[in-house]
Amino acid sequence: MASLEKTIPGSGKTLSNEAYHRRNAWRRRATLLLLASPALAWFLAFMLWPLGNMFYISTTKWGSINGVKQFIFLNNFSRMLHDPKIAIALQNTGTQIVAEILIIIPCAFMLGFFLSLRMRGYRILRTIYFSPAMISVAALAMIFLGMYRPDGMINTLLNSVGLSSLAFPWLGNKSTALAALTAIDVWGGIGFNSVLFFAALSNLPEELYEAAMLDGAGYWTIMWRIAFPLMLDFVAVVTTLQFLYVLSGAAQNVILLTGGGPGTATFTIGYYLYDQAFLSGRLGYSQAIGVLIFFTGIVVILLIRRLSSRFSY
Amino acid sequence: MTGLTRFIQKIRRGSPAFAFGGYSFAVLYALVIIIPLYFVLISAFKNNTQIISTPLAFPPAFNFAKFIQAQASVHLFHAALISAIITVGAEALTLILAFPAAYAVARIRSRLAAFVESIFYLGFLIPGLAILMPIYMMVAKSGLLYNPIALILIYPAFNLSLSIILLSSFMRKLPHELEESAVMDGGNILQIIFYIFVPICMPGIITVLVLNFINIWNEYLFALILMDSDNRTIQLALALLRANQRTVDFGLIAAGVVFSMIPVYIVFILFQEKIMSGMLMGAVKE
Repeated sequence: MASLEKTIPGSGKTLSNEAYHRRNAWRRRATLLLLASPALAWFLAFMLWPLGNMFYISTTKWGSINGVKQFIFLNNFSRMLHDPKIAIALQNTGTQIVAEILIIIPCAFMLGFFLSLRMRGYRILRTIYFSPAMISVAALAMIFLGMYRPDGMINTLLNSVGLSSLAFPWLGNKSTALAALTAIDVWGGIGFNSVLFFAALSNLPEELYEAAMLDGAGYWTIMWRIAFPLMLDFVAVVTTLQFLYVLSGAAQNVILLTGGGPGTATFTIGYYLYDQAFLSGRLGYSQAIGVLIFFTGIVVILLIRRLSSRFSY
Repeated sequence: MTGLTRFIQKIRRGSPAFAFGGYSFAVLYALVIIIPLYFVLISAFKNNTQIISTPLAFPPAFNFAKFIQAQASVHLFHAALISAIITVGAEALTLILAFPAAYAVARIRSRLAAFVESIFYLGFLIPGLAILMPIYMMVAKSGLLYNPIALILIYPAFNLSLSIILLSSFMRKLPHELEESAVMDGGNILQIIFYIFVPICMPGIITVLVLNFINIWNEYLFALILMDSDNRTIQLALALLRANQRTVDFGLIAAGVVFSMIPVYIVFILFQEKIMSGMLMGAVKE
């Protein structure tokens, strides 16, 4: 496209080099915007505009779609400070986030390292590990319902091996319900992230391992002391993704399986938003929770970036 | 490969403990994944007594009664048809929007390109839950509530970011002579995109189509609030299999789950490498 002629085709006019390039730059900009504008418009209409609306609605008191909106400025947020359910929801979500990250990342890293050695069978293992990523939240919830329910697979197996004392209504008991929902995420999360680590580890220069071997390092040491520190940027990415997922996406498991119960055992911040917006008719307050979720996400993304750039190579 | 190859050989010969430990852990986790999938697959062909008393036993006969019952209960085929219509519409729209935008950010040399691209990166930061209610309002106001067209219009917005990033990274690897020769032949930019870039980018387009298919077919939350029982998608039908019954009829649910997963697993088997590389790239670019 960038031919160096200074004659404008068709007009016969000649321009100075600088003017020609300036003119060309403007033309490129116009073409770029023209081609990108349908996608930008879509993005604006269905992502940024709703996001802006979330902020706007969060400053109102609003009961239902057809009801009257009343501007109350930051009252929803000050109410939030004294709302015990917010504290419970944040605690549940926090527990879930910490548990998922602490279990998924070490397991996924070790499996990813093992896959990256490309020992016999690594391809089939990789396919198996990745396959849960194909399952929808609804299907996944239904599969685990069949395992967790009182006469479900897990309890039948426990009974058949004589451990009936461990058999439990996993989703119906306050002490196990949140752990049961967390386990659903961990189940597939380890696999997906192990394939992620596998791909990243496969890009490491091989001399690193070689040098370590010459120093007489064992494989366990190589895995944790050499490969893992080199993966810190990646650990940051995986942590961020998992964090964002639990903050927002994990609410679907609650909607599908427990409705926040029993009691408030699985009442998470994402589910609180859904509950206020679609079940309790507090639209303004629900969007205030949305604002909280949005900013928590942004702050944590920045924090993790900051930490990872400080510690990584 | 020498370093790594030698490293691997050494593990195989020299450190049976590490290889054994690694395999044990890897196979154990593989079983943890396979058992629930196996459980749901066989449960679809059993009756409820068999499911409860011998959950992991292979079905004595392939009994399709639960599939028939599920079809009668929530109209699985109709739901699959609705999902298919939404998927095709949203896929086409996503591609029409994403392809020119990807071309623009990848092939036009301008500082504006980086800025436009960064706007699309914002898509990864916006949680679906946050915009759920505003989108519901918007759809309700426009009179498209319970209409599949609403989802056809909305799903492209969710899939644009990843589609544009994948397509533009594909286009960046192509040589710049492509456009230059076309310009000399007097082609305008739309012709260049349509006649030169679309055919060359087919592998990238297929990756994008496959990933968007999985996302759209599997989407639950927005379908839940925007559709009703006449226009339920396959994912809503699944959840209804539980809600419609007074007690949990797991055989019925399993039949629905298996039915809903068939198209996705066919695509997974056919395009495994593309799906993995595409999803990994999406994760890393975040």
